[in-house]
Amino acid sequence: MKQLLEGSQAVAEAVRLCRPQVVAAYPITPQTHIIERLAQHVANGELDAEFINAESEFGAASIVLGAVAAGARAFTATASQGLLLMTEVLYNIAGLRLPVVMVCANRAIGAPINIFSDHQDSMAVRDAGWIQLYVGSNQEAVDTMVQAYRIAEACELPVMVCMDGFLLTHTFEPVVLPSQAEVDGYLPAFQFARTLDPARPMTLGGASEADNYQPYRVAQHDAMENVQAVIEAFDADYETQFGRTGGGLVQGYRLDGAITVVLCMGTLMGAVADAVDRQRDQGEAVGALRLRCFRPFPVQALLDHLKGVQRIIVLEKAISIGAGGIVAAELRAALQQAEMTIPVESVIGGLGGRDLTPAVIEAIFQQATDEKIDTLNRFAPDHRVNGEVQHG
Amino acid sequence: MTMETKAEMDLHDIRLHGRGGQGTVSAAALLALAAFEDGFESQAFPKFGSERRGAPVEAYVRISSSTIRAHNQLYTPDAVVIQDASLLRSEPLLRGLKSGGLIVLNGEQPAVSEGDGFRWLCLPASEIGERHLGRPLPNTVLLGALAAATQWVSLAALEKAVANHLARKGEEVVKANIEALREGYESSSISTPPPISTPPQPLFFKGEAEAVSKEEQAR
Repeated sequence: MKQLLEGSQAVAEAVRLCRPQVVAAYPITPQTHIIERLAQHVANGELDAEFINAESEFGAASIVLGAVAAGARAFTATASQGLLLMTEVLYNIAGLRLPVVMVCANRAIGAPINIFSDHQDSMAVRDAGWIQLYVGSNQEAVDTMVQAYRIAEACELPVMVCMDGFLLTHTFEPVVLPSQAEVDGYLPAFQFARTLDPARPMTLGGASEADNYQPYRVAQHDAMENVQAVIEAFDADYETQFGRTGGGLVQGYRLDGAITVVLCMGTLMGAVADAVDRQRDQGEAVGALRLRCFRPFPVQALLDHLKGVQRIIVLEKAISIGAGGIVAAELRAALQQAEMTIPVESVIGGLGGRDLTPAVIEAIFQQATDEKIDTLNRFAPDHRVNGEVQHG
Repeated sequence: MTMETKAEMDLHDIRLHGRGGQGTVSAAALLALAAFEDGFESQAFPKFGSERRGAPVEAYVRISSSTIRAHNQLYTPDAVVIQDASLLRSEPLLRGLKSGGLIVLNGEQPAVSEGDGFRWLCLPASEIGERHLGRPLPNTVLLGALAAATQWVSLAALEKAVANHLARKGEEVVKANIEALREGYESSSISTPPPISTPPQPLFFKGEAEAVSKEEQAR
């Protein structure tokens, strides 16, 4: 049944349907509503889980690490500074190959203090060894949550479901929640082969020297590469059962005959698609591509969607300070490796909640068409109403 | 994977203004829930920021006949709901309001210039709210008035939205809010005074009343 739900509530319901046995968290805007809702479900007996109020995000991440190592399905959520405080544990969770699933309600990082949405938090931990899936709507947040546990547990890799803070978490929109029976049919019960068990003593997280540390990283890297096929297969499976896709690895929009394509992540795709429609109405051969899976970086899927494209604009809500666009740099490397010579323009915008509207994206398309994109100075222009800048 | 092409644009965009504690964000949710109940696609979201009692609050609603994929802000509403008339002195509340747009105001109509084409609907929503709720809460009263004046959502759908959304606050609260909603709905037809011809007040408009971008007008 389709219902109008706030994003936090929708994703909390999806988590409940996945039957986690341990939920641990420390509150931080804009993810707090998710955890509040789950706490209510546990208190009301609607979710048979242990709810643990952690003393910090470092604690919350450590609790879910331990819970999963002990064979329990676990969930946590955070954002921004909270995610950064988890960083050390995030690497350990991935290195231990523990299938933790978490939500990052994407938000800017201080300083300056800013609570609004961009992708700087999750992008900062991109090398930690977590699968990162960026959702474009609350429906996708629900569907991706259910898929995330299956992916994580099948591949023994942690998954971070990245949903734009406020733009999704605090927005009411129509969502179809699957039934418990449907989710149970899709997501098998968690059976962890390496469960810590006093009856079968073993060491988890022992020391590793030069002889075998690197092979661990190689194995992790290989597992991440291989998970691409799993993400696609489980998404196809989901579509068969639920009639909706979570978005696969990448999602294209009006790519037929497109000469110029904007690549983006998350909810930004909505405004980009509106801009594409308006440009197409004016006869411009433009299209859009959304990276749903950023880690692993789905090189082949991207290249498959970019055949015949003559210019790519990567519009991203994060910056590697001193280097520039992160996705743009990775895409350039992938194209060069494949000997595809398509110019990639890197445009950064939307930092700290600055609004990226269809009008702004149209202006970027226009500059690209006019071959004046250098004048952008690599940052998106502002949205203006009657000449006055609107900061969102 | 391919994203579906969108066929139609938003039908109605609404911006709601109030102060922290007046239920502005709840009113936006109720309006979106009612539109959804009436079979439309809808979206409600607050102006993101720190929440504190008494501080200016904004919330937005999009109502559409097709899937709403936009998650950017809303700049050119078709209607503005103002829960606290004192905000008119400090905030550019009419910014971006489309020509001929509707203003639903809790209070008496302020002096405004002719020629803006705006339609004013003014009613003592706090008083009506207080009578039903025991507290001067204007939000459901103003929603009733908006619904009556625009017919964008039905009264039945609003009542159902109130019943569902406020259920956790108990039957008494639901009943009182539905009564407030109905009185707002009934009051609307008799309280649309014509605009008064006086010079514009600078603090009031801050030069933003006509501020509609070409891009947004084109939508």
